Amino acid sequence: MSAVLEVKSLSKTYRQGQAVTFQVKDISFKVEAGQVMGFIGRNGAGKTTTLKAILNLIRPEAGQVLIFGKDFLEAEDEIKQETGYAVGGMSYYKRKRIKDIAEVTKTFYDNWDDQAYRHYLKGFKLDENKRLMDLSEGMKVKFYLTMALSHQAKLLILDEPSSGLDPVSRDEMAEIFKKLAAKGVAILFSTHITSDLDKCADAITYIKDGKIVASMDKQDFIEHFANEMATTSPSLEDIMVYIEHEEVDI
Amino acid sequence: MKKLLAKEIRLTANPLSIVFIAFALMTLFPGYPILMDGFFLGLGIFFTYQQARECDDVIYTVLLPVRKKDVVTSKYAFVIMIQMANFILCVLLTLLRMTVLKDAGVYLANVMMNANLMYLGFLLMVYACFNIFFLGGYFKTAYKQGVPFLAFSVATFIVITIGETLSKVPGGQILNATSGVHPVHAVVFAVGVLVYVVGTWASMIQSIKHFENIDL
Repeated sequence: MSAVLEVKSLSKTYRQGQAVTFQVKDISFKVEAGQVMGFIGRNGAGKTTTLKAILNLIRPEAGQVLIFGKDFLEAEDEIKQETGYAVGGMSYYKRKRIKDIAEVTKTFYDNWDDQAYRHYLKGFKLDENKRLMDLSEGMKVKFYLTMALSHQAKLLILDEPSSGLDPVSRDEMAEIFKKLAAKGVAILFSTHITSDLDKCADAITYIKDGKIVASMDKQDFIEHFANEMATTSPSLEDIMVYIEHEEVDI
Repeated sequence: MKKLLAKEIRLTANPLSIVFIAFALMTLFPGYPILMDGFFLGLGIFFTYQQARECDDVIYTVLLPVRKKDVVTSKYAFVIMIQMANFILCVLLTLLRMTVLKDAGVYLANVMMNANLMYLGFLLMVYACFNIFFLGGYFKTAYKQGVPFLAFSVATFIVITIGETLSKVPGGQILNATSGVHPVHAVVFAVGVLVYVVGTWASMIQSIKHFENIDL
């Protein structure tokens, strides 16, 4: 399979004065067409920083992001025609109605498909006369997905899309991801909820303290840590606890 | 750019930014510092920026299929559009004062600045203050608005004070003429055009540079 997204040696340092407060260093991984990649790590591990750097929302000091084989910084507008995003907890124009936001947004996309838009609105049970602020967190994620899928996005980059969702909505989201992947859409989503990954991820990229611990096929990831932990079939939650375990000093 | 400008109007703009264009009517006020129109216009646009921050407008716009620098140019284009709408109204009202109303008693006895070509030159300088100090300051962070607005306010009041004072200095009465174009008026107007064009352009270039390097 071809890499839809390729992140090469991405680094970003946050400083306060001369002191380094946080750093993501040498981040590299690939997401292929039709693949659901779970980007996992604890709160504050660097997931959002990495995703923001991929999307050029923050400026990394080093590294390169290739999407559809093109350098993101050189073909930003072209690449974004085929890429969709959702950020959990974000609420654009919350006092505007869905249809008003969609009316403006669609003018930017060459491949906007009104039929697909109507299809996903119906499928996700979204009322386009509702204001964004009237939607639950789960419905907001569905709205962002609707927008992304209506312009035929081939890559979805989702930052904590399951945060704030109830278990039923999370289950639905996992099902949606699997269906989209089956249509060839590549999905990169960050989370710290391992059960989301159990349900739908094909591959895992694990980040700890701003560094990639592992990036591989989910089954290989589990087997790799099963050997290291000297156990059989650990769950992703067991692996996360193993990687992150620290003595509590009280 | 057209699409981004339409987006600014339909999703981002606070209605007050548009409504405050009507402050151009202050051009007709006698006994009042009519350059304050430029300040109120800036205040109206400031409301849009406050609203934009509240609704994550910058992030939404950056994620659209546009280049990051287009976000800055579209926001400058929106402000220039508002300013030019206000300016055209001010030009028309100034022409009214300089022709039909040139002998009106309230304007002949007006101790404050009269509407003439010099007024229009100073008005452009006030617009330039907004573009240089507010927009230029805002795009250093894309969220801090208080200090940039304060800087714009201080700069504007300095420009207004200079404008209002010039005609009070001995021999400066001609500057406050209610009709006719005097060479000094033309010079001040030309300076206003120059400050507006160069100031806005330089501010936009600087803002693009800042915006491409800041973390959102």
